[in-house]
Amino acid sequence: MGGPGGPPREPEDDRDLVDRARRGDREAFATLVRRHQDRAFNLAYQMVRNREDALDISQEAFARAYTSLPAFKGEASFTTWMHRIVVNLAIDNLRRRRRSGTTAYDDTRAAPQGGDAEPAAPDNPATILERKQVHALLARGIAQLPPAQRAVLVLREIEGLSYEEISRAVGCTLGTVMSRLFYARRKLQQVLRAHLGDLR
Amino acid sequence: MMHWFHRTVGRGQRLAAYAADELPPADRARAEADLLACPACRREVEAYRLVSGTLRTSERAVLAPDQAAAFWSGVERRIQRGATPTRPARPALRELFWDHPRLSLASAVAAVVLVLGLTLGQMGVWTVRPPGAPNGVEVVSVEAGEDASVMVFQAPGSSLKVIWVFEKPSS
Repeated sequence: MGGPGGPPREPEDDRDLVDRARRGDREAFATLVRRHQDRAFNLAYQMVRNREDALDISQEAFARAYTSLPAFKGEASFTTWMHRIVVNLAIDNLRRRRRSGTTAYDDTRAAPQGGDAEPAAPDNPATILERKQVHALLARGIAQLPPAQRAVLVLREIEGLSYEEISRAVGCTLGTVMSRLFYARRKLQQVLRAHLGDLR
Repeated sequence: MMHWFHRTVGRGQRLAAYAADELPPADRARAEADLLACPACRREVEAYRLVSGTLRTSERAVLAPDQAAAFWSGVERRIQRGATPTRPARPALRELFWDHPRLSLASAVAAVVLVLGLTLGQMGVWTVRPPGAPNGVEVVSVEAGEDASVMVFQAPGSSLKVIWVFEKPSS
């Protein structure tokens, strides 16, 4: 979850910052948070598609990480550990929403060139329209996925993690990662194929 | 002619893996040869690629400047309030079955066998409970955990309980 750009001098290693934070250095933990906050927020947003919830989840994830520092063995990287905490909180959020009957994926404007997102390359209007339709279809398809499948899909397709990294971040076997990813991809391609006639 | 995609078990998984460039080189070569002669497979691969391509180029959400500036203070407030230590999200029973299709099949078969057995018992083929007891079987409890789930069945009027433990295989 490295932050964008790099400081002018060699940044302190995450592991060193974690060690200092474990010894009670609050400023070291603040540095870790600032370094990883953008990526944590984005991961939470990709899961829950709601900025307010994503902010709440990402801040809560760091607070829980701080409280759990004594239990952090350092076997995985701080990034992987944060992935795991954010994903678990996002899954809990989605399940609560499902139980309460609120929309599980309430921001279906997940198309490129949104207000607070990084701008995409310019394109012709027909392509932009088509891409927006595909994004909207995928958003609807993702909303129907069980939270655990959504987590694996986001970590693989959006965060670009390897199967092994996903396995560590989600805390399940490689086989389970592959299985969840397949069902998620299949569901989304079925949604797209059902509407491709309208798009092509 | 039967194509490789259709001959092998897990056709969909292979198509998805091919589309995501996750097939081993030998399988990839065979897949490419077969795709030339299988228009349905090509359409499916195209849809898989559209899914991946769209997701991979989807926008990243970024914190607004004021949110970024106040982020740490929000975390600090939560720490001072006393954040709960981390714990894994508990899988829902339905998701447990999604992850383990064979478990779903096994539990469905087990339920059918149980109901059939109790029904035959009711018909007098064998005695499983005192005559006159109502027919059917009830799920007494379902407990789903991270590593295993437990389902308890019981026939009404009978003291016989059947306990199924579905254990997640260790990696």
